[in-house]
Order: sequence, then C-alpha cells, then structure tokens
Amino acid sequence: MALFEATHLQKRFGEQVVLEDITLSFEEGQLSGIMGPNGAGKSTCFNVLTGQYKPDNGRVVFDGRDITGKSARVIAGLGISRSFQIMNLFDEFTAIENILIALPESINRSFNPVHDIQGNVSAMEKAADVLNKVGLSGREFTQASSLPYGERRALEIGVALASDPRLLFLDEPTQGLGADGTARLSELINELKKSYSIVVIEHDMDFLFGLADKISVIHWGQVIATGTPDQLRENEWVMASTLGEIA
Amino acid sequence: MNAPLNTPLLQVKGLKKIYQTGLLKKRETFRLEADFNINSSQIVGVMGPNGSGKTTMFELITGSNQPTAGEVLCAGQNIHNVKYRSRDRLAIHYHQSYQVRHFAKTKPSFMLENPITEYPLIHLFDEPQFNTQDGYIGFMLEFFKKLKSEGRLVFLCVHPNEAFHVKIMREICDSYLFVQKGRVSQADDYDTLLENPDVTSYLGSLAQY
Repeated sequence: MALFEATHLQKRFGEQVVLEDITLSFEEGQLSGIMGPNGAGKSTCFNVLTGQYKPDNGRVVFDGRDITGKSARVIAGLGISRSFQIMNLFDEFTAIENILIALPESINRSFNPVHDIQGNVSAMEKAADVLNKVGLSGREFTQASSLPYGERRALEIGVALASDPRLLFLDEPTQGLGADGTARLSELINELKKSYSIVVIEHDMDFLFGLADKISVIHWGQVIATGTPDQLRENEWVMASTLGEIA
Repeated sequence: MNAPLNTPLLQVKGLKKIYQTGLLKKRETFRLEADFNINSSQIVGVMGPNGSGKTTMFELITGSNQPTAGEVLCAGQNIHNVKYRSRDRLAIHYHQSYQVRHFAKTKPSFMLENPITEYPLIHLFDEPQFNTQDGYIGFMLEFFKKLKSEGRLVFLCVHPNEAFHVKIMREICDSYLFVQKGRVSQADDYDTLLENPDVTSYLGSLAQY
C-alpha cells in the first residue's frame, strides 16, 4: 500500500471546477512529482492534499488513515510537512532561530519559545543538524533576511524538515530561482531524497525529470498522464517539443 | 455508464441559435444551425474561422447557452433538461485551460433531471494552448486518446495557423466538423473534409500538410 493515496478528488469554487477528478499515490522512500502548465490546478491540488482546502468529493489516505477534510494542523501532526510557494520565514530571526521555533520541542511550549529554547543544548544541536542537511552549516547566526534567495529557499525546506516529517511536500521550489539556484536546489533535493519521502509540485519539466521516481501530469483539473520520467519522455510529441523540433 | 444500447453518443437535432438586435424592429445579427449525429466514441476535430460559431456550438452542446430551437441529446438525454450544476457530468467545455461553467437559467433546478452519468461523457476542448516548447502537447494528445478508449466523445477545436496544428488534427482526429458563417458541415475523414472548397480556402497554404 502506498504511503499516501488520494482518490477521485473534486474541488469547486462556486461555478468553477478546479479539480475535476484527481487520483494520485505516493510511495514511501520515493520522490513523486506533480507537474502541469500554469492554471492547471496544481496549487489547489496541493492545498487539498495537505489539508488547506477540504475536497467536495474524494478521499485522502495517509499511512492507512483517512485524513480527508482534516485540518492542516492535524495533518501536520501526523507527519506531513509542507513548504510554501511564497516564503514563510521570520526575517528578523537568524537561520538557526527559524529552525528552532519549528522544532516539536518549541511548538509544544506556550510562550517565548526562542528565548527559552536557546538554552536547550540538545535542541540547538538538532537545529544545527537540520541546517547541515539543507547545506546551511556556517550560516547558523546569519539573519534570515540577509541570506541570498537560494539559501532562503533552502532554509524554508529546513523549517519544513524540523518536525522530522514522514512525508515532505514542496510547492514550486524553483520559483524565483535562476539557473544556478535551480541546479543547486536540485542537488539538495537529490540528497534529501535519500532520507525522506518527498512530493514536489513543479511546472519546470526538466527539473522534475531529473529528480522524480514517478510523475503525475495535471491539466484541466485531472491527471492526464502518469509514469516514470523515462516512460513520459517516450511520447514522441514530448520528445519533439522538448528538443524544439516542432515548428 | 448506463446509456441505452445503440443510442448515438451525441444527437444534435435541428439546433438553432438566433441572435437579434433592435427593440421594435428586430434584426438578425447571427444565426447558428447544426444538425448531426455522432454514434460512437471518437475524437472529432472542429475547425472554422473566428466568429463562425464554434464556441456558440460548444455552449449549446454543453447546455450553457439556450437554443432558439432544436435539441441536444447526450446518450439520449436532453442536456437542456438536466439540472444546471450537473450538466457538466454529461458534457464539459474546456476553454483553453479552464472550464466554462456559466449557465443561462430558464427553469428552477428542482424541475430538472439528474444526469445519467457520473464522469463527463462528452469533452469539448476549445482551442487548448499547444505550446511547442514544453512537452505538454504530448500528454494532452494521449489524454484525448485515453478518453476515447474509455468510450467517451472528444471534440478538439483548433484554429490552425501553423503546420503542426494540422499535423495534430490529422494524427488524432477520426472525423471533422467545419463551421463557417453559422453553418456546420460534417466529414468522415480528412480527405473528405478537404473536398469542401470552403475548407481548402480556409486552410490556405496549410492544406498541403
């Protein structure tokens, strides 16, 4: 059984059907990709999968447990973590403080978590360990706002990893990154996939083709294709268009 | 699907939509007329100049636009008698990348029927954006074929202005509709389509592909 399964999800906003019929599954230990052109319903899909929106129809099962319609908070508590398309960092805090406040130890405290937790050696070590995983060793005491854009994105992934999730969702991680930044991010995610189950939503086909074990293509609120990067690349029109052979 | 056996997937019977202007002295501004059947699941290519009535025809088939006369039967069920919110279970209109879901209401919903299908039987793609750079074309074409293999009817409306548009149509369409000045003509294959001089003059130099 897959770690995460969504079946026949439908979501309408008023008269607009954004998700028509989405069936997806993500395996433990794999990197799964969700890909689609702009306006295809990717972000809505992501928000339904991670509990920000309730689906009108369909079912979401994580690790054998039905989580359909559960709040984002409950879903996060079960071990699903997500990053956002728009960055969610505390700019005036240092890199390590951003990780510290996302650790389960401080989430369970009721006040002034940063101040209290900085005296906690094991929490500090844990946070430094997370920073190391996302390639930010040496940046512990740099203020988040002064990190370069690519490192802010890495820090954000670190925040999502602080809770030691069983499944990590990344929403358009290449957003706003140039070619260099995208290449570095690709290396980072390639490392992380050795120890985490990851779902990446992206419109950048090359980025996903290089990383994913399995990809689902979404368009018109439906899964229009699914397969390994090699299987998807076999399509002659895909080949011709990515090689620029269609005139 | 529980459509009755031997019922055509789509029957467009004496369909007319007439647009008029003027309060006292009415003057006709546009008229669409269509009369055709499509019996089995297939991919139907739809072509015609801008303003010829292609989108109006799609709106009438999906029940979002009320006909002046005639009827549209989807697997035998008159779509204009189905509850507004459920009409897209029979026929669904994708305008480029989003779905069109606006209905001109003429009757309260409780007086209308439920649809006979759960997942749309007829899919109308109105000028989907074929970007030649990103590879999505291939997935879209596979999707059209998959819908057909599941017994559904696919309309693919393309306004060809590049050679690859014609190539796509020839590769995946089983039959064609050509719409011009509100008149709809049907062709069983591409060669038959090209026998129509209006089609060759519409395609111009693209007719050679």
